[in-house]
Amino acid sequence: MSGAGRADAPVKLRGAAVYGTDLSAEGMYWGALVPSPIAHGRIRSIDLAPARALPGVVAIGADEVAGLLPKGAAAETPIFPKEEVVYRGQPVAAVAAPTRALAREAARKVRVDLEPLEIWGSIDTLLPEWPGADPPRIGALNAHVHARHGDLEGAFRSADFVLAETYRTSGVHQVPIEPHACLARVDGELWTVETSTQTPFGCREDLASILGIPEPQLVVRGSWVGGAFGSKGSALLEPYALLLAKASGRPVKLQLSYPEEFRLGRSTLPSVIRIESAVRDRRVVGRRVRLVLDTGASLPGRDFTLGYSAGFLLGPYSIPAVEVEGYALRTHKPPFGPHRAPFVPQCTFAVESHTDHLAHRLGIDPVEFRRASVWTEGATTGLGQTVGPFGLDAALARAAEIVREWRATGPPGHGIGVAGGFWSTGTGAGGEARLRLTPTELEIEQGEREIGSGSVIRGIAVGVEQRLGLDAGAVRVAYLDTATAPFDSGVFGSRTVGALGQAAEKAADALRTELGRRCGVSGAAAEQIRLRPSPEGLVVDLGDRRRAVRELLTPEELARGGLRVEGRHYGRSGTIDERRVLEGSFHPFNDFVGAAHVAEVAVDPEIGSVEVVRYAAIHDAGRVVDPTTARAGIEGGVAMGIGTALLEETQWGADGRLENPSLLDYRLPTLAEVPPIQVEFIEGYPGAGPRGAKGLGEPPIVPVPAAIANAIFDALGVPVGELPMTSERVARALKRL
Amino acid sequence: MSAVPAALKVNHRPVDLEGVPADERLLDTLRWRLELRGTKEGCRSGGCGACTVLVDGRPTLSCLTLTRELDGREVTTIEGAPDHPAGRAVLEAFESEGAVQCGYCTPGFVMALTGFLGRTPRGHRSTERLLRELQGNLCRCTGYAAIARAVDRAGREAP
Repeated sequence: MSGAGRADAPVKLRGAAVYGTDLSAEGMYWGALVPSPIAHGRIRSIDLAPARALPGVVAIGADEVAGLLPKGAAAETPIFPKEEVVYRGQPVAAVAAPTRALAREAARKVRVDLEPLEIWGSIDTLLPEWPGADPPRIGALNAHVHARHGDLEGAFRSADFVLAETYRTSGVHQVPIEPHACLARVDGELWTVETSTQTPFGCREDLASILGIPEPQLVVRGSWVGGAFGSKGSALLEPYALLLAKASGRPVKLQLSYPEEFRLGRSTLPSVIRIESAVRDRRVVGRRVRLVLDTGASLPGRDFTLGYSAGFLLGPYSIPAVEVEGYALRTHKPPFGPHRAPFVPQCTFAVESHTDHLAHRLGIDPVEFRRASVWTEGATTGLGQTVGPFGLDAALARAAEIVREWRATGPPGHGIGVAGGFWSTGTGAGGEARLRLTPTELEIEQGEREIGSGSVIRGIAVGVEQRLGLDAGAVRVAYLDTATAPFDSGVFGSRTVGALGQAAEKAADALRTELGRRCGVSGAAAEQIRLRPSPEGLVVDLGDRRRAVRELLTPEELARGGLRVEGRHYGRSGTIDERRVLEGSFHPFNDFVGAAHVAEVAVDPEIGSVEVVRYAAIHDAGRVVDPTTARAGIEGGVAMGIGTALLEETQWGADGRLENPSLLDYRLPTLAEVPPIQVEFIEGYPGAGPRGAKGLGEPPIVPVPAAIANAIFDALGVPVGELPMTSERVARALKRL
Repeated sequence: MSAVPAALKVNHRPVDLEGVPADERLLDTLRWRLELRGTKEGCRSGGCGACTVLVDGRPTLSCLTLTRELDGREVTTIEGAPDHPAGRAVLEAFESEGAVQCGYCTPGFVMALTGFLGRTPRGHRSTERLLRELQGNLCRCTGYAAIARAVDRAGREAP
């Protein structure tokens, strides 16, 4: 059986699902943003008058903001810049008009006068000496992290050999097919926004801090989400739309065009990575890694990515002496944003390519080389964390079998590569869910929206259904706004099933206990309680007898829509050994989730083009909650990873201009680029999710660029070393042979 | 192209186009004039395929089509797919194969495939050929795997 039970499919197939772009209201105005025409400049003047001269147009800039907000509202950061613009496309003003075309015209009419300032366009210009021995020039440092452990000098001094390599990665964009869109309105004290978001409560929190309006006066209502992949995890358009709604007295729709989406959506930016490994007696005894990450116009202290992803650069291996150092640099590009497994596919590309090159140099099978030092439960990471149940070794063992099979059946000349990868579920971010039992149905009332992966519509329902003995699809998921839903942290970090799903299961347990109390049973007998459908509605099955739910609810409950029971789950974050941290803040891993991927490629040695012909993904999933949904998520993650590996690249000019803000010039994988994907699961290494489940939203993309890089290395014998591995870069690598 | 279009039909219903500006795109006519927002707006420049509809049975990017050029034509959107013989089979195949995730690209895929199946008799519908016809439709969620399974099924089951 495939796909059955996703209650959203019929709605979406009828064309009846209302996404952010579909939102509308009576008397609605359209908004448009006025972009800065240059990447860095001092504001001389911004003249809104020409826009305001058009019929019905409302225009706002930095000077209008305070007058629109409630008295006493204390905004943390300015919504429009007052003195300086720091990236091209940065909104400097906004307009609203009765039609979309007029709004665009009005935005163009605003006169923006800027004095150009020096532009930090590329991290290369900031790092003349990189990858030399000295740290990068730190004139524009957003964050610096540094940790070490063990006798690194000794390891390098006594090494049989040292392999030192540099890797480069490009910016990649999430490109959800639905661009950012929202609809805002202000009614008296209440500021309401309907929006395509993966974190309704996170959006409300952002709005409270950006606008300085207390949370009880803000309502965020999620629409259907046409893809997110990290890009819709914080407020982006909502503050502007709300201010325009206040200024115009109308509901205001704000939606990005694709070129704006490419420029303004928060995407991943370029990096340079240096890895040095000291090898003795066929093992890595010391490793030093350095990461320089372009974080664009992100503000200091706001970047989570560096302290998180840097830890991945050491790889999932036990190494006695390690040092990791990361620099997040500010440039005049849009702020860096999270893209599915933020920056970890890039880190994994570097360290897992490097691992293959070490095995090659040693003449050892690359999978066997990995298995000799890969973490298993109880191992200690370079940052001093103890590894929990972790199925990567088992996944690698299965990958080795697949490689043997493919070598025997594949045409000569094809390359086959393996990469291991790991991920850490969530951030300990918690959540709450509420069950509503009526005489005829059971519903989960909660605050997230289904973003496509199935983690909400199936992921949190499955556990409740199983707990209460109901058929798949019997429990409905209700989407409430932030004013009425119990709190949840958001659909991100592969945490939804692990945290919100666990909250829903706890609510199911509480419901069972409460129904048991009303039926006069407790303890083990209450745990046996099941709900059964019947022609007269739901009944409570107590084993030896049955009671209709209708009889068990009080008149008040019946009048208020049913019996409501809440569950909450706030997980614990992992801990690292702070003695190993010299500077900055590293983020601990929580659940350790492993995956081994196998790629087979055909490379055209003349033009360097790479075709992925076969692909296998073996995932440590703890316990698979819903096989169809899990498989679909892995297939999608691999396809996205193929894009990162071979096609996708935001091209930034030295002037901070994005040179390819369209699907013609930024290539996404099509049906032609994605081969059949063999998906397998490793169970038996339980995680912290419900009954051992582990997060699966992000792990599928993590090993993909590395697996494909290793397949290309296998085919050609020469590393490409840079993402994406376009035919041009592959051809250039071949010339180095 | 006639200077004053009399009418076009959308899902078999006549639509008066008097007063539609000459530069209005079919996408906007459908979504904002006729309130048929099942047709999705993606890139608005022919790159994503999300806005695909049928014009006289042929898959067409509504973002690159001017409404006033469609005088006398028949437009079918996702809202009309259940009434199209091939459309019904395609909808069923997408649902049963789990080919819908976020669903934003789905109406475009459904209409493109419906158009090809409606014009391609059985016996000429190799899955490979159908997949080639869908390369102009982008999906970011599914990795195309479940879509390919749905295409295969629809190719066999559609009349």
